[in-house]
Amino acid sequence: MNYLYDGSFDGLLTCIYWNYYGEKISGIYNVNQYQQSIIENYKIIKTDEKLAEKVYSAIELKISKQALDYVYYCFLSNNLNKENYILDFVKIGFKLGKNTLDYYSHDKIMPIHEIYKKVSFERHRFLGLLRFSDIKGILYAKYSPDHNISVLVADHFADRLKNEKFIIHDIKRNLAVVYSDSSWYLTDFKLKQSIEYSEKEKLFQRLWQGYFNQLSIKERKNINLQFQFVPARYRKNLVEFNYTVDSLQNI
Amino acid sequence: MKEILEKLKILADAAKYDVSCASNGVGRKNKGKIGNSSASGICHTWTSDGRCVSLLKILMTNDCVYDCKYCINRITNNVQRASFTPEEIAALTIEFYRRNYIEGLFLSSAVEKNPDYTMERICKALELIRNKYGFSGYIHVKAIPGADNLLIKRAGFLADRMSVNIELPTRESLKILAPQKKVEKLLLPMKQIDNCIVENKEVRSKFKSSPKFVPGGQATQMIIGATPDSDYTILQASQSLYNRYNMKRVYFSAYVPVASSPNLPSINTMPPLKREHRLYQADWLLRFYKFKADELLTIEQPNFDLDFDPKISWAFRNIDKFPIEINKASYEELLRIPGVGIKSAYRIINQRKVANISYDSLKKMGTVLKRAKYFTTFNGKYYGGIQIDPDKIKGILRQKEIQKQLSIFELA
Ligand code: SF4
Repeated sequence: MNYLYDGSFDGLLTCIYWNYYGEKISGIYNVNQYQQSIIENYKIIKTDEKLAEKVYSAIELKISKQALDYVYYCFLSNNLNKENYILDFVKIGFKLGKNTLDYYSHDKIMPIHEIYKKVSFERHRFLGLLRFSDIKGILYAKYSPDHNISVLVADHFADRLKNEKFIIHDIKRNLAVVYSDSSWYLTDFKLKQSIEYSEKEKLFQRLWQGYFNQLSIKERKNINLQFQFVPARYRKNLVEFNYTVDSLQNI
Repeated sequence: MKEILEKLKILADAAKYDVSCASNGVGRKNKGKIGNSSASGICHTWTSDGRCVSLLKILMTNDCVYDCKYCINRITNNVQRASFTPEEIAALTIEFYRRNYIEGLFLSSAVEKNPDYTMERICKALELIRNKYGFSGYIHVKAIPGADNLLIKRAGFLADRMSVNIELPTRESLKILAPQKKVEKLLLPMKQIDNCIVENKEVRSKFKSSPKFVPGGQATQMIIGATPDSDYTILQASQSLYNRYNMKRVYFSAYVPVASSPNLPSINTMPPLKREHRLYQADWLLRFYKFKADELLTIEQPNFDLDFDPKISWAFRNIDKFPIEINKASYEELLRIPGVGIKSAYRIINQRKVANISYDSLKKMGTVLKRAKYFTTFNGKYYGGIQIDPDKIKGILRQKEIQKQLSIFELA
């Protein structure tokens, strides 16, 4: 039986619950992306917070807190088969117990390690690569990460910019973390109109561009390496990669 | 406006050869109004030469009254001069930080007028940043040798890390290239900073709320390749700096020619980047892999092999210690295997608790076995495929390196 869920973490956990207390699962899929199979029947699972909570604490207690983190990171990844990797991992985890993650090379466990690594790598990268601009006193950052990492970067900026108001906008998923007065929430988000930068904002962008341009030691140029660190797909949202010679001269 | 951009360009340019960009190692929550430090180090962008940009790295001024031969800011050199005001430094830092361009500030300076004048302005800038703006992010500041101890102390209570550049590894070199800098004048502030750190720790163990003095510790920097000093001399010097002044880091900076002088390498010399890299690798081995300096180099063999890293070179010289059995070796022994890093060693130890390790499972764990396979066995089985003989292994690794270069060439 294929289980279809609504795309939420609780939904996924609810499916895992029913795997143990209902019909065995052959696959879990997001209801919005599901392609019907001729062989398998499917069932739409209604998200149930209470059941999800049970699975949540079972993972934490029977496996480990760290395993729970790994599962959550995988859930936020863009891996197309993540639900089934998570299911397999949790199943084997309940058998192996608290050392589960140490079996790196186990074929049900390694995928989780690998996906976790990718997501946490991108998260870490964006702690540095996110760029805010000051829009009438609100700090606004747009980006389009490979994985759904907004909730994973929120706490970091909430601490760092605690007296500010900020919005971290994932333009690929139309989601945003909105922060003010020491708390944040995640919400659907779209801009109604394009943003106009104030003169002061433009000045600091240009200063940053000017600074960045000055930094390279020309004796050591290594553009390939730079592309490894800052992939082309990230660059459109980075101030320092979007300047014209003009913008540096005409201040 | 134009003026501040120009200043920024001049004073960033003058600061960029200063290598220490690392802000990691000091985790700190935001206790002020803005800013925290992340223990794992965050890069905010990368330059076209592939270096991580983490801090706003600028000089307070490049208007120097000294004449160090290896430095572009020396008084006898004809360059554009500029000086920031403390207010400008503070505003730049805060506005860049709010936009997440940077992780913090690295403020260095030439000696304008005299050491006290310069140090005073540095203190003012830091005071604005910390007190007026309530910034609690990372600040690394250079202490100006020769400045009053009180000024250095004042800065130390505002900075996370402080450094005095030792510049060159020997007295003789310093005498020739930086005649106004006396070794004692460089070592004195190091001693003072170290004393203050020790004293501050004691005070803080009794009074938790008293302010911290350079919690990130002190660092220093040495220029590589401006003088004929050997790697052995450099490593010895850096080890004694670690030991004597509790240095957190000793940075190396490959000399980029900026002047012709009979005492300097010719202006067309390429900066010795490979050598700089080897020194950092060695430094890493000393600090985290429990190697000793004289295991890596000796008076007879005073320089690193540029073809092979210091760890594999050590393994070649100590080939009788290999192969090492992956399923039996202690953590320390694992760390001695070329190609096995701290992470891999941990993973091996962890996985071994639950299952035996085969060649394939280690490969799956993400350990690169390209080098390690010549130095290890798995349950007694050797996967190197050739005799454990330094010359044979070197031959194969060289060949692979050439193949790699050729394949890049074909792609391009
Ligand atoms: S004191 Fe510093 S800035 Fe001045 S010439 Fe010497 S190294 Fe350069």
